[in-house]
Amino acid sequence: MSVFTDYKKEIMDAAHNERIRIALSRAIKNYRAHTNNALRKFPHTIKMAEEVRQIKEKAIGEMEELAQQACEAIEENKGKAYIAKTADDALGIIGELVGTGKLIVKGKSMTGEEIELREHLEELGNEVYETDLGEFIIQQLKERPMHILSPSVHVPKEDVARLFSKITGEELPPDIETLAATARKLLRDKFFQADFGISGANVVTADTGTLFLIENEGNVRLATGAPPVHIALVGMEKLVPTLNDAYKVAEVTWRYANYTVPQYVSLVSGPSKTGDIERVITYGVHGPREFHVIFMDAGRTDLAKHPILRQALYCLRCGGCLYECPVFAVTAGHFGDKYFAGIGAVWAAMISQNIEKAASMAYTCLTCGRCKIRCPVKIDIPEMVIELRRLIAEGEINPQ
Amino acid sequence: MNKKSEGLIPTGLVYLADNITSKHNILGAPKGEGAKWAKGLNLPQEAETIFFAGCGYQYISGLESLMSLVRGLDKSVVGTNLPMSIASYQKKLGVDLAGMYRKMFAKGGESDAQPLRDAVSVLSHLGVKFGYLADDEPCCGGLLYYTGFEKEFVENAGEMYKKLKSFGVKRIISIVPVCTYTLHDLFPDCIEGYDLEVRHWSQVVLENIKSGELRFPEGVKVTYHDPCQLARYLGVIEEPRQILRAIKGIELVEPEWTKGEWATCCGGGGGFEVVFPELSQMLAVNRVKELLETGAQIIVTQCPGCIIQLKDGLKQLKADGVKVLDLAQIVAMAMGV
Repeated sequence: MSVFTDYKKEIMDAAHNERIRIALSRAIKNYRAHTNNALRKFPHTIKMAEEVRQIKEKAIGEMEELAQQACEAIEENKGKAYIAKTADDALGIIGELVGTGKLIVKGKSMTGEEIELREHLEELGNEVYETDLGEFIIQQLKERPMHILSPSVHVPKEDVARLFSKITGEELPPDIETLAATARKLLRDKFFQADFGISGANVVTADTGTLFLIENEGNVRLATGAPPVHIALVGMEKLVPTLNDAYKVAEVTWRYANYTVPQYVSLVSGPSKTGDIERVITYGVHGPREFHVIFMDAGRTDLAKHPILRQALYCLRCGGCLYECPVFAVTAGHFGDKYFAGIGAVWAAMISQNIEKAASMAYTCLTCGRCKIRCPVKIDIPEMVIELRRLIAEGEINPQ
Repeated sequence: MNKKSEGLIPTGLVYLADNITSKHNILGAPKGEGAKWAKGLNLPQEAETIFFAGCGYQYISGLESLMSLVRGLDKSVVGTNLPMSIASYQKKLGVDLAGMYRKMFAKGGESDAQPLRDAVSVLSHLGVKFGYLADDEPCCGGLLYYTGFEKEFVENAGEMYKKLKSFGVKRIISIVPVCTYTLHDLFPDCIEGYDLEVRHWSQVVLENIKSGELRFPEGVKVTYHDPCQLARYLGVIEEPRQILRAIKGIELVEPEWTKGEWATCCGGGGGFEVVFPELSQMLAVNRVKELLETGAQIIVTQCPGCIIQLKDGLKQLKADGVKVLDLAQIVAMAMGV
């Protein structure tokens, strides 16, 4: 019972935290207004989301074949591709590529959070910078992300000003523009000094081996473009067969993440190359000389076999469900493990295999179902949570 | 319950689930307790169409007392888990805990079941013929399903179906959202040849009311709170609104965003309230705030769980002038029955 008791204390502390409530009520209001606006301007998105559901349903059943195909495509583009069966395998591959004593700039990646990639690289004696502003704030605060898209959703600007003042030694006002400029100043040189740039990916095509990277800040372009080596860690559920599928997945993802269009979408398929001198193909010009992609399974192909829980793999990580969750509105990501809220319980149980945490989360879900209404691919989160409770109650999954 | 799941399922839920399997009602009250509200109404027990009252309203005063007790404990240093464990233990010794709650928080019993009395009066007034199983009404066991006790749920469902069949039931008019969803959607999945027609009270009412006959005693602004299971699980969203709009004197005012399928949960879903009593109360307060912004004088809903939550939310906000009523109470008033 101690896991539950500790967990309950954590979420009740969060629920009593006025700062979290203020930050979230602002975020929820803005999310709804922006998403409504985006869907009104681009009404075809709703129909396209149904198509994306079909694409994901099919792709999740073929993850292994798609990963194989993507590896071949990436190798053909002169990148290196790997399939990691477990989280440890993924950490091992990346650890070996990076070594020790290196400077690393990172784009935000939930898959990275899932396997604690940053911590692992730091333990190996590397200096790692999170470059997404929210993630940078979280790293500096030594906290964990509280939302899949907006990791610092629970931190109001006043707290950021205090944090950045401490880092810079200057007295900074709680003015968001000033704070963003400060982050730029703090990280600018790191991009160009870094030995490695590490990213995740929002969607990956099997036919061409192309990573789609959706962002607004420009940090992902810099982190994956400036350093000499780009390493990407990709959960196998991100794979779809073709470029055409990936465009649809990407558009639906950003629209439900409350954007009409994101400022940047990068499509990366291999290392930088040129044929400009005598038509001789040479690798490594302005962009990275090396490009490594790790496709990680870590429980995903097993999860895909479960008729109800496999829906968790359809998730586009738009984060919309979290804004509709009444519990999340007062606790933020404390109602969470690596991933959050109802769907997070499924990831905790089946991917992280943290059964006690998963049970605690499963019984924190109201099964009210508003998340499902929001979800672009109509993942039935209450159905999954109830199934998870059944697996727990009937002893089909239990802590070893 | 499987041994391996010990410690993983919150005690409060195990307690409620055990009430259903051992006493056939969610509160663990003795047989006959739930049907008291219908005394003197002379509803026939044998009928092809029955009114299904459900645990929620029949035991609402006991449940309210239980909630008030666990909320107090949850905020104290003791926490909820310990008292819930003691409750389970006491039950094994044969102590009538439900009775104890009621004595601790003694209140007038009759008014608690007003939504049920009004619901049947409205149906009778509309000329709908139906019976009521009274002491023999079985619990649908919905909570077992939501807690994860599927084996127990399926077993209960089979027994319940047999019982309903033995009374010759063909059609059910159900009022509690969770029972309605359980009877309408979950039972067909686990009972072979299930052939009962299940409809929600508001659907039957809407079909039978004639325009022009409904008038509220005074002009009033009301808002409507959608219970999750009714709106999102069963898709009953328009029916209650059409009924409200048909009543002269009532002005329906709604939150801009959180209505219909987007309505915010009251914070009392699926036993959540006994696992996180204090958090559940916070969510009730949040929902009530959204509803109060409409300027409504009455919050209308159709779920005993929501009613307990919303009443508590109003109390916390000291919004004394605003009432929470079941739609059945509103319609009864508008009909003058």
